[in-house]
Amino acid sequence: MSKACLVDLTKCIACRACQVACKEWNGLEAEHTEFFGAPGGYQNPPALSSKTFTLIRFVEMTDSDGKLKWAFARVGCMHCQDPACASACPVGALSKTAEGAVVYDDTKCFGCRYCMMACPFDVPTFQWESPIPLIRKCTFCADRQGDDAGTTSVNDQPLSEESLARHRDSNRTPACVKACPTGTLKFGERGQLLAEARERMTAEPGKYIDHIYGEQEVGGTSWMYISDVPFDQLGFPTDLGKRSYPSYTSPVMKAIPAVVTGLGLLLSGVYWVANRKAKAGTSAQEDNNQA
Amino acid sequence: MNHEPVKAKFVTPASITLALLMILGGIVAVIRYWQGLGAVTNLSDSYPWGLWISVDIMCGVALAAGAFTVAAAVYIFGGEKYHMFVRPAVLTGLLGYVFVGVALLVDLGLPWRIWHPIIMWPEHSVMFEVAWCVMLYMSVLALEFAPAVFERFGWDRIHGLWRRLVPAFSVIVVAFFTYIMSHSVAWAVVVLVVFAVVAAVVPSLFASRPGVPIILVMVGIVLSTMHQSSLGSLFLLMPGKLHALWWTPMLPINFFLSAVAVGFAMVIFEAMLSARFFGRSLEQGPLAGLGRLLCGALWICLAVRIIDVLLRGELGGAFVSGKGFVFLVDVLVGLGLPALILSSARARESMTSLFTAATLAIVGVVFNRLSVALLGMTIPGKVGYFPSIGEFIITIAMVSAVVLLFTLAAKIFPVFTREEQDGFGLPAAAPRAAGNR
Repeated sequence: MSKACLVDLTKCIACRACQVACKEWNGLEAEHTEFFGAPGGYQNPPALSSKTFTLIRFVEMTDSDGKLKWAFARVGCMHCQDPACASACPVGALSKTAEGAVVYDDTKCFGCRYCMMACPFDVPTFQWESPIPLIRKCTFCADRQGDDAGTTSVNDQPLSEESLARHRDSNRTPACVKACPTGTLKFGERGQLLAEARERMTAEPGKYIDHIYGEQEVGGTSWMYISDVPFDQLGFPTDLGKRSYPSYTSPVMKAIPAVVTGLGLLLSGVYWVANRKAKAGTSAQEDNNQA
Repeated sequence: MNHEPVKAKFVTPASITLALLMILGGIVAVIRYWQGLGAVTNLSDSYPWGLWISVDIMCGVALAAGAFTVAAAVYIFGGEKYHMFVRPAVLTGLLGYVFVGVALLVDLGLPWRIWHPIIMWPEHSVMFEVAWCVMLYMSVLALEFAPAVFERFGWDRIHGLWRRLVPAFSVIVVAFFTYIMSHSVAWAVVVLVVFAVVAAVVPSLFASRPGVPIILVMVGIVLSTMHQSSLGSLFLLMPGKLHALWWTPMLPINFFLSAVAVGFAMVIFEAMLSARFFGRSLEQGPLAGLGRLLCGALWICLAVRIIDVLLRGELGGAFVSGKGFVFLVDVLVGLGLPALILSSARARESMTSLFTAATLAIVGVVFNRLSVALLGMTIPGKVGYFPSIGEFIITIAMVSAVVLLFTLAAKIFPVFTREEQDGFGLPAAAPRAAGNR
């Protein structure tokens, strides 16, 4: 099973420790921003960019009693099970790893930006100000997924196998998840997290919206959300459907050999008919059999 | 068919103007390479594709379609009376594709990696198909135009070599294309065999024309069909963003059909403009014939678009909101109006209304590509998009370059037919073509 992340938005207090940890781990510059008002939210910076891979969106809303209420949502790459961006990329720069991350290869990309157009969540961003621009987005900390435990010894004492495993697990946890102080973000196996999401929903009936966002959207995503606020009000696209995006284009690509063969036969047939006529010298039909 | 270079001065006020516009574009391009795309464009993370993709590339490819539609009409369907349009159309197609490539070099973030699709083979990517179609069809167009160069310099031996090598090249190209798009050796062999048989059998069965080997024309048509349709397929991945008035599984077919139509429109448009600017006489018969083909193609496009929207139950959307209005303009003004004009035989024989209808059809396709790539999109986020001055300058420079190089090439190479030979519409010269007029 691949790794996934469960986001329980009822626990988020918008401290943005995840946002900061993400910047630190990925070595991203700060952004110069201005105050950003509704309707897109009050967060800062306003949107994902080549310098911001993780963002907490601030949504001001009224609850059922008509009282002012704040809702927060983590915005970033959803790491789709069957990612549109990877199927779009003409040079294979984007791919889904066995561990679950959708990763980008700096050395392959030639900057066509089709991935940005294809992404149903508008996640990939581009380094517009650079003469050597690359696509940037959340990596699901794929660069932390190796076997490196960070250290092998403490106080000159080699670590036990058990401690090493603990260090390794800790290292593999994405930076944002490690930084989250409220347990909003939880990293684990996708199937287990889904089960846990359902448990939480049944344990406290009425607390959550009856929907696990990302369980089925665009064929399922590795990042999944549960919330007490309807997802459309949090600015999540809710009309994406359950069908995986690559399945929209794969029939077209699979049809190519048959279309090429068919066209070859068709054109030859037309040529034969048209030129046989020409030989016979019939002039009844003009060449307006074209369209 | 006898061709000759147009006899006219090379340096004219018009050509100087075009050259200056190109230089202006060059200056903007230098800034773009020096400081990045953000410095000269209004593109953003909300609108990563703008004017260059929708006009320079999407329209550039569509407007180059005359090369394959006229080649099909003449070489495959036997419409000999349209032969005089082939070389100008092939030249336009070639220049169009070259500048699609140039536009990509400007628009791509890392243009020095433009060759990457040659070594990475993700057969699931529509953009990968697009990239290969550009490369392969550009070489087919260059080969189709090559005889004009051979004739100009009297390179008879190279011309002979070309005639012998081109069929094998064509067959290999189409088989190779099939292989990289499917990663299936079996399909590649099937395509190789089918096209090799066609290439071998056709010239021996029929007295082949001295012009272009028929297999090259066929492969050109196949690659064009794939390319025109794949530009539509690109947008299949955007069901959430592209309005349902345009987003349909029929997108590739819509793009192909409208390319066929605009191909005829471009040939009419160009023939009339070059007659005017090169001081050549116009032949009404073949032009009216093209008008008729254009008319048919436009009606088919219109019918397919409307029926598709109706069947999907989205027609209601055409009468609400700005997007609905854009759709109505796209369909009614861009397709319906020129189709209606050309439905009258008298209008097809009037040079003014034929020119008007062809121009409308061209503007209509440009508007359609803009609708799909920009106007029909709903992109979340605060930032809107309107092209910057720099983007306009580059686009204008590209168009200027195509026009300037076309006129230069027409003056250097034998592109247009000899003036005195003007008997195409007449029964004596071409009995087949005289049928119903």
